[in-house]
Amino acid sequence: MANLPEEQFMESIAAQVELQDARPAPANLKARIYSGLVLRQGESGPLASLTASRERGQKLCIFEQLVQIVPVGETVKSLNICRVCHARVLAEHFETPPIYWTGCPYVEFKKL
Amino acid sequence: MHHLNQQPFGSRDEGDPSIDDDSSLVAAVLSKDRKATAEFVARFADGLYVYVRSRLAPRYDEVDDLVQEIFLAAWENLNRYQGSGLLQAWVMGIARHKVEDYYRARLRALEPIEDSHQDHPVFSVVPEFHEALEHEEMEAKTRSVLASLPDPYRLALIWRYWEQASAREMALKTGKTEKAIERILARARAEFRERWSYGQSA
Repeated sequence: MANLPEEQFMESIAAQVELQDARPAPANLKARIYSGLVLRQGESGPLASLTASRERGQKLCIFEQLVQIVPVGETVKSLNICRVCHARVLAEHFETPPIYWTGCPYVEFKKL
Repeated sequence: MHHLNQQPFGSRDEGDPSIDDDSSLVAAVLSKDRKATAEFVARFADGLYVYVRSRLAPRYDEVDDLVQEIFLAAWENLNRYQGSGLLQAWVMGIARHKVEDYYRARLRALEPIEDSHQDHPVFSVVPEFHEALEHEEMEAKTRSVLASLPDPYRLALIWRYWEQASAREMALKTGKTEKAIERILARARAEFRERWSYGQSA
């Protein structure tokens, strides 16, 4: 390789070397992306009701379950209740936040 | 070719068939199902992060913002996903465009480095070096040399040789002439090779 023309030298290097390092995305980045997307989704109208998520077979966290079973309209069940949850705040700022509830997306990001 | 690593997301009940495939995941995200949105993020975040990190190195401070931008763009355009190919390939396409936008903006903004090399010979005579570098060593050395290069050189080389853009494409996208791009590439290659052969203080 020492005497290859520079063009071929670079092509040879690029063919042999993949630049990626296999470091996974930080959990707090996933949390921030998720929060940002859900926030944007909420800007154009209500989110899908928690009842609909439940019907799709999704697990709800303990707080979402409470909201989902209380006798209130679907409008309330469509609110982005994660906005007022400390789990979100912790997950967005710490890589291993002390949150453990089943069904909480922020907890799942931490596990991945 | 870079592939995303899909990650399973553990918040579904066992046996749930609802969003097991790309189209149903997309439909659920578009219906603003927050759980599906979480799955969308979980499924693609690691692969996108690895890809963007490799293409922006050593500018790691800009990786998070670009990954967030990619997700936002993917979500904003999700209704255009036709379901004819894998969702991961579709998301990866958006990531490539975003990385290209990043290169374009940086190469447009930065003036090429003035250097003493006017016309590099086609053949460089370099001292003997270990031809059979171990693969890992070669990867580390390549990353290290790339990281040591000035921004315009590094970005031009990655765009041209790892993203496989032609000089013509690069010229069109940066608003520079093809000749100007070729000149940057020639200097970048020479600089890369010099640092590869003689060390990074060269």
